[in-house]
Amino acid sequence: MPENNLLEMRQIEIQFPGVKALDKVDFTLRAGEIHSLLGENGAGKSTLIKCLTGVNRMDAGTITFMGNSIRPQSPQEAMGMGISTVYQEVNLCPNLTVAENIFVGRQPMKHGQINWKAITKRAQELMARFHQDIDVSRPLSYYSTAVQQMVAIARAVDVQAKILILDEPTSSLDDNEVQLLFDVMRDLKAEGMGIIFITHFLDQVFAISDRLTILRNGHLVGSYDIGDITKVELVTQMVGKDMDTIFNLKRASVAEDAPYMLNASHIGSPGQIEDISVAVKKGELIGFAGLLGSGRTETAEMLFGAHRATSGELEVDGKKAEIKKPYDALVKGIAFCPEDRKRDGIISDLSIRENIALAVQARKGFLHPLSSKEQNEMADKYIKALGIATPDAEKKIGELSGGNQQKVILARWMATDPKVLILDEPTRGIDIGAKAEIQRLMLEMCGEGVSVVFISSELDEIIRCSNRIIIMRDREKVAELNGDEATQEKILSIIAEGAKAAGGEAS
Amino acid sequence: MKKKLDFSAIARSKVTWAVVAEALILLVCLFVRPEFFSISYQPSTGMLYGNLIDIINRSSEITIIAMGMTLVIALGGTDLSVGALVAVSGAIALKFLRWDVTIYNTPGDYTVYSFALVLIVPLVVCILMGMFNGFLISKGEMQPIIATLILMVCGRGIAQIITNGKQFTTQYSPFRVIGQGSILYLPTPIIITAVVVAAVAIFVRKTAFGTFVESVGINRKASRLSGINAQRIIFIVFTLTGFLSGISGLIYSSRIMSNDSNNAGLNFEMDAILAVVIGGTSMTGGKFSLVGTVLGSIIIRTIVNLVYYFGIAAEATMAFKAIIIAVVIVLQSEPVRNYFAKRSSARREAVKGGAKA
Amino acid sequence: MSNLHTASRQSLWTRVTNPKFIMVYATIGLFLLIYLFGAIAYGDVGFTTLRTFTTLFVDNAYYGISAIGMTMVLITGGIDLSVGAVASLTGMLIAYGTTVMGIHPLICMGFALIVGVGLGLLMGWVIHYLNVPPFITTLTGMFLARGVCSLISRESIEINHPMIDDLASWKIYFMTLKDGEWVKIKPSAYINLNVILFIVMLLIGIYLLQRTRFGRNVYAIGGSEQSAKLMGLPVGRTKVLVYGFNGLCSVLAGITYALYVKSGWNLSLQGAELDVITCAVIGGTLLTGGVGYMAGTLFGVMLKGLIPALITFNGNLLSWWGKIATGLLLLLFICIQRIVVRTTDRRKGKKKAPVKS
Repeated sequence: MPENNLLEMRQIEIQFPGVKALDKVDFTLRAGEIHSLLGENGAGKSTLIKCLTGVNRMDAGTITFMGNSIRPQSPQEAMGMGISTVYQEVNLCPNLTVAENIFVGRQPMKHGQINWKAITKRAQELMARFHQDIDVSRPLSYYSTAVQQMVAIARAVDVQAKILILDEPTSSLDDNEVQLLFDVMRDLKAEGMGIIFITHFLDQVFAISDRLTILRNGHLVGSYDIGDITKVELVTQMVGKDMDTIFNLKRASVAEDAPYMLNASHIGSPGQIEDISVAVKKGELIGFAGLLGSGRTETAEMLFGAHRATSGELEVDGKKAEIKKPYDALVKGIAFCPEDRKRDGIISDLSIRENIALAVQARKGFLHPLSSKEQNEMADKYIKALGIATPDAEKKIGELSGGNQQKVILARWMATDPKVLILDEPTRGIDIGAKAEIQRLMLEMCGEGVSVVFISSELDEIIRCSNRIIIMRDREKVAELNGDEATQEKILSIIAEGAKAAGGEAS
Repeated sequence: MKKKLDFSAIARSKVTWAVVAEALILLVCLFVRPEFFSISYQPSTGMLYGNLIDIINRSSEITIIAMGMTLVIALGGTDLSVGALVAVSGAIALKFLRWDVTIYNTPGDYTVYSFALVLIVPLVVCILMGMFNGFLISKGEMQPIIATLILMVCGRGIAQIITNGKQFTTQYSPFRVIGQGSILYLPTPIIITAVVVAAVAIFVRKTAFGTFVESVGINRKASRLSGINAQRIIFIVFTLTGFLSGISGLIYSSRIMSNDSNNAGLNFEMDAILAVVIGGTSMTGGKFSLVGTVLGSIIIRTIVNLVYYFGIAAEATMAFKAIIIAVVIVLQSEPVRNYFAKRSSARREAVKGGAKA
Repeated sequence: MSNLHTASRQSLWTRVTNPKFIMVYATIGLFLLIYLFGAIAYGDVGFTTLRTFTTLFVDNAYYGISAIGMTMVLITGGIDLSVGAVASLTGMLIAYGTTVMGIHPLICMGFALIVGVGLGLLMGWVIHYLNVPPFITTLTGMFLARGVCSLISRESIEINHPMIDDLASWKIYFMTLKDGEWVKIKPSAYINLNVILFIVMLLIGIYLLQRTRFGRNVYAIGGSEQSAKLMGLPVGRTKVLVYGFNGLCSVLAGITYALYVKSGWNLSLQGAELDVITCAVIGGTLLTGGVGYMAGTLFGVMLKGLIPALITFNGNLLSWWGKIATGLLLLLFICIQRIVVRTTDRRKGKKKAPVKS
C-alpha cells in the first residue's frame, strides 16, 4: 500500500573510487513497522543508511519521505526532517548528565536562561516511558551501555523523529537488556514510528521485525515479510552459498593421552573472578559459553596476563609459569585475540605488515628487529593463508573492513606459533562467510597441535567447534560438558538456573 | 612487491611541504641576493663560514632537542620542560667551572672542578629530570603536558638556586670549543648535531624501537596486549629527551661562556615542537619523521637568519617567523593537502584518459 | 509520584557529592589550609588582615580574567597559548597609542579589543575548519602577537594619561563602624577597577557556562566532539566563539595589567599563559576537556596568588622558590586528580551492569 509508505528509496546508486557501493537499490519503510536491514559486511547497509542521514551523496536515485522528495546534506538536516540514528557507539557526551544529553542543543528556556527544572522533569518522564527509573542528573558515563542506548533513543524520540535507525544496537547488550530494547521498539512502533534495525543477530531479526531487506554486494536481493522466509533461506540469500557447505566443519580430534598445554588451577583476582580452573590438552578446542558478564573475558585476561591473577597457579606445557603481563604470556607461547578489536587490537595507522609482525617483534624486544624480508614474508604468508582482501601489505589496517581487520589480528597471533591461542569473540560483527572461515582456521590450528580457547556468545558456534565446553555464570565456572553431548537447550538451561537465582539484578 | 611512485601520496605527505617551503624560501633568496649562499674559509679559526653554515650551526640547540621531541610527539604527548632543562644544564656546568666565584671574581682560563664533571654532571642531572618526567607519565599515568609543566615551572627556579641567582662567566678554552670551536672545518655544534641525529636515527630505525613508539602512540592498550612494554618505551623517550636537552644546554652556555638562567632555553620547547610539526609528525601521535624534524628546525632558523641578513629590523623576526609558520601550517592542513592531492590525481586520470584515446 | 520526589532529592545530594566537584573542594580545602598556615606563621606581621586578602585579588586580577576565558577553552578540550602575548600586545597598543600618538586611551582599548577578539576568532576558525591542532595554532598566534608587539616598540613605554591615572587609582575602601562613624579599616584594604572587572567577568563566565545553550554546548564538545556533531550541535560556531571570548578575556587582562603597571612592554607577561593554565588546572579543569568550573578557577587563582604572598611575608626566600612551590602545587593537584579518577572508576565499575562477556 503505497500510501502507507513513510519512506521510499528508489534506484539508489553510489559509486566510490573503484567500487560500485550501491547499484539500483530500492528500500521502503512503512509507518509503524520494524524493518531489518541485513547483509554481510560490504553489502552496502551502512552506505544506504548514510544516504538517508545525509553523510553520503547519491549519484542517482530518489528518496521520498512522507510524500516529499528529500536530499539531506548533513546529519543535522536529516535530524531536523525527523530521521534519527542511534549508533553502536552511543554518540552522546559522557560528561553531561542523562537529562542534559537528551536536551542539549534545544534546552527549554525561561527568561533567557536554561530552565533546569523543566529539563530534569521532562527527562525523568521520558526515561520512565522507557521503563528506566534512573536518576537523570547523574553523568551519562555512570550508566551501562544499555541504559546509555535508551538515553540516545529517548533523545531521538523527543525530537519527534518519524524514522528511527538503530545501527547494531544489541552488540554489547545481554539478553535481558535486549528484551528491554525490544519492548521499547514495540512501544515506538505502536506510536507510528518507522524503525530500521540493522543487526548481525539473525535470531533477533526473527524476534522483532515485521519485514526485512537483504543486500548483497551493493545489490538488492529482496524484501520479505517476516513470515515468508526461514532462517536457512535468509542466510543463503545473504551469502549466496548453501549454509551446509559453509558450516561443514568437524571438531578436532584429540588423543586421549595428549599432554596438557595449559593448566590453570584456582586462579583468581579479587573483584574479577574468585577461583577458576581450566585445563586444555594439546590440539584441543575448549569453548567458553555464558551470558555477558559471566566472566569469560576476565578469565581469558588472567590466562594471558592482561590482568594479573593474584591467586592460583599456572602451568604451560607442563612447566610452572608466572604470568604478570602480556609479554610473559607471549614468551611462554600463549596468544590472545581480544574482544574489541578496534579498541584493543588494531594499530590503525600502521600497515598490515607491521600489525602482523607486532607480537613476534614484541617477543624479540626492540633491540632485535625483524628484517624487512622477514616481515614481508610473514605478511605475504598470512595474507594468502587467511584470504585477507588487500592489494598489498602496506595498506593501513584502519582502512580495511571489520572482517579483514580481525583476520590481520588473528595473523598477528598465529605468527607467534603459539601453543595456546585464546580467542575472545573472534566472529563478532563479522559476516557469515568470514565467520565460517575463522571457525575453519581455528579447527585447522587444532589439527596442527595448537590448543584453542574459544569464547563466543553464539551457542551454535561453540557447539559446532568445541571438544569441551565450559559454562560460566556470574563469574564462576558452573559446568563442563563434552562437545558431542552438548545441545543448545542443555547449555541454556544450565545458564538459566543461575540467572533465576540471582533475581532481577540484571535489569 | 615493488611500489610505484605514488604522486598523490607524496602530495599528501607533510614532509613534502616542508621541503617545498624551505626550497621556496631559499629560491627567493637566490634571486634577490645570491651572496647569501657564499661559503668561505677562515684560516685563523680553521673553519668554514657562510650563512648556510650559520643556519645549520645555530639551529643545533633546537634540532638536538627536537630529536627527542619527535618521539615524544609520536607518543601523543608534549614535553614542555626542555627549555628549563637547558637552563639547568648550563647552570650546573658553570657552577662546576666557577665553584670559586665567591673567592675570585675574575673569570679566567681555568676550571675549578675537572672538565669531566663540568660535562657529565649536567647531563646526569638532565637525565634524572627526564626520568622524573618519564616516571610521572608512564607509571603515574599523567598527561605529558601537565607532568612536564611541573619541571617547566620549577626548572628555572632550580637553575637560579644552583647559582644562587648569579650569572657566572668563564674563559675556559676547552669549554669554549663546544659552542664556538670547530671540528673538521665545521663549527662544533654542527658536528655534535650530526652525531646526535645519526645516533637517534640508528637507534630508532635500525631497531624496532621506532615501530614500538609509533604503536604505543597510536594505541597504547593494543600495544600492551601485543606484548609491548609501553611503560618502558615512554620512560625511555622522556629520559632521552631530558638527556638531549642537557646536551643542548651545554652548547648554549658555551656560546655565551656563561649561564643565563633567565633566557637560556627560552621558548625552546615551542621551537622544538614547531620543528617537529612542520616536519610532518602529527601531534595526535603515530608515524613520525626525523628527517622532517631536522628540516623543520632548519626552516625556522632560515627565517631568523634571513631576517637579519636582509637588514629587516631584528624586532620583526618574530613576526616573520609567525607568518611563515602560519603559511606552512595552513599548507599542511588536511583540507589543503587533500585539495592538492585530488588535483594531482585528477590530472593524472585526465592524462591517462587522454593517452588511452 | 513519591518515586520522582526521592529521585530529585537524591539528585541534589548526589550532585553535590559528584566526584567531579571533589577537585574543586580540594582546591578550596588546600587554599584554606595554606591560608591557615600563613595565618599561623605570619599572623603577627599582618597576614590575617583583610588587606592581605584584598591584595590577593588586586595583584592577581589580570590572571583571573584571563583564566576565565582559558577555562572555557580548556573545557572544549582545546588550549590557548597566545593569551600572554595578546595581553602584552594590548598593553603596548594602549601605551604607544596614548603616549606616542596621543590618541584617547578608550579608542586604543577599542582597537585592542578588535585585534584581540579578531585574532581569537581567526584562531578558532583555523582550529576547527582547517583541523590544525589548538596547540600549534595558538602557538603561532602567540608568535604573531609578540612579533607585532616587538615591531611597535622594543622599549618599554610609560602610560601617562589622566584618564588612565584615574582609572588605575580608583578604589573602594573597606569601611567599618567606629564610634558611630564609618572609617577606613586599618591597614587599608581596598579593591579597584581590576577586581571589579574580574568579578564581573567571573559572573559572566558562570552565567554563560551554566545558563546558556552556548555554555552547555561547550561542555558537550569537550565531552565528545564527534557526538556533539552527530547530535546536531553547532560545533564549529561554538569553538570559534570560545576562542573569540578568550581573546576578549586576554585583552581585558591586558587592560587590567596595563592599569596595574602603567606601562607597555613587549617582553611583559612572558610565560603568563602557563600560569593561567596552572590556575585553571588547580581549579579542577581537566586538560582533556569536558570538566571545569568557574568557581574552581576562582579558587585556583587565589591559591596560586597565595604563594608569592607567602614568600613576600617570609622576606628571606628568593622569589624563585615561589616558582618551585607552584610547580609542586601543580604536582600535588595532578596526583589528587588521578586518585579521584581512579577511585570513582572503581566505584563506577561495581555499580555498572557488567559489559564484558
